[in-house]
Amino acid sequence: MTSSDSVRNRRAWDGISDEYQARNAAFIGRKDEPRWGMWQLPDSELGILGEVDGKDVLELGCGAAQWSILLAARGARVVGLDNSGRQLEHARESMAEAWVDFPLVHASAEDVPLPDASFDVVFCDHGAMTFCDPYLTVPEASRLLRPGGLLAFSHSTPFVTCCWKDDGTARRLVSPYFGLHRIDDIPSEPVEFNLPYGEWIRLFREHGFRVEALVEVRPPEGAETTYRTPEETEWARSWPMEEIWRCLKI
Amino acid sequence: MPEDLTEHAIRNQAAWAGWAEEYVPGAERNWARDEIAWGILKVPEQELQILPDVAGKDVVELGCGTAYVSAWLARRGARVVGVDLSEEQLATARRMQGEHGLEFPLVHASAEDVPLPDASFDLAVSEYGASIWCDPDLWIAEAARLLRPRGELVFLVNGAFLMLTTPDVEPVVPAGTELLRPYFGMRRFEWVDDPSIDFHLGYGDWIRVLTSHGFEVERLAELRNPGHDAGRYELFTAEWAEQWPAEEMWKARKVA
Repeated sequence: MTSSDSVRNRRAWDGISDEYQARNAAFIGRKDEPRWGMWQLPDSELGILGEVDGKDVLELGCGAAQWSILLAARGARVVGLDNSGRQLEHARESMAEAWVDFPLVHASAEDVPLPDASFDVVFCDHGAMTFCDPYLTVPEASRLLRPGGLLAFSHSTPFVTCCWKDDGTARRLVSPYFGLHRIDDIPSEPVEFNLPYGEWIRLFREHGFRVEALVEVRPPEGAETTYRTPEETEWARSWPMEEIWRCLKI
Repeated sequence: MPEDLTEHAIRNQAAWAGWAEEYVPGAERNWARDEIAWGILKVPEQELQILPDVAGKDVVELGCGTAYVSAWLARRGARVVGVDLSEEQLATARRMQGEHGLEFPLVHASAEDVPLPDASFDLAVSEYGASIWCDPDLWIAEAARLLRPRGELVFLVNGAFLMLTTPDVEPVVPAGTELLRPYFGMRRFEWVDDPSIDFHLGYGDWIRVLTSHGFEVERLAELRNPGHDAGRYELFTAEWAEQWPAEEMWKARKVA
């Protein structure tokens, strides 16, 4: 089952994909080591994925597959999934340039055409866990993972949603936290999703996950990014703008 | 008498000696109440259902104050022990026990160093007790030690959103919307014209502290102003607490 937003978000991402890759591909395509999020902090520092050699890994919302290419080079058997055909065209180009090959799946993470219990790691970095309905993706991730498997994903925090005003971060609460679910601010852009912290935890538990960690990312002083203005990065030094959930399937 | 107290415990003990008198009317109201209701928002347990069945269980309340939570649980068949560092608060608790004919042990100690044996309880609770007045790593470690394997921990604290927006002024004014202090590094709070020290953590830090002491997080209930019968509060307005979490309850289970 997919939400009606999955059609809208496919169209939206097909539309913004070229511009997105032109702006960010070089920044997020560095090949030295796996890095997370808006400020590209190393996985080795954050302790999220760790060793992937020999593991079956699914990336939910792989975009141009910068992450999957890196994990494939480190010995993972990866599958990249994206809801946007245009994003997957960029992925094929990047894979050809990197001389690596792995399956790409054109589908919404709300309804993944892959078998039960076939992955050790399901993850994304500002991917489908942002652009799909978590009430559909969390059960899908649970279905796809083997027992003991890892669900890890980064996304924007509920804080930044509550403090977002006129296309920037305010130093005050401007919108309610309770009831947070579907964020539809700008009609031409993809719909985003988020939940209150307690509701994330309830949903993880309901679908057989144990919460291992919530890493609230604090960018180092002067951290560079193609995603945020320097003022926003400065805001993120005081309040959490980006966070990474780490859950194990029991 | 408790010995080797931490610096903040000594300060909080002195602060509570001064505040105990003000808390007597609240103690009388809560002891007289049958229904369990949580926090300043008084969210009914019947609605929240965060407690396990306590009948026949060994329960310790960490930072029990006037011990009304212990009284609620004792009436439901739990074998409760209340622990508090304030002799003055315990004196009120003892008087309430006498008036209500409901006796259970009260231990004068810091929840950071509890003189009770390992693995002797099925449930540890704290409502604005150890949960905000003790160092999180110290009291959570004590809760883990006191609980039997699979034992449960339920506690109530102020929400992180409230701690970011509460003005540091005396007399108290309700929280607004401005972010007055950083979230990163949030832990130990000192307030103007107030000798006490309290502790508040962000979401990720609570998960880290709980898991690092062998707990599995089972639930985070973020309390919302129930709307109906919305009272008047000192720390926040009813409208504020309809939009953002002023209070939250964590439930965790000892697994390791």
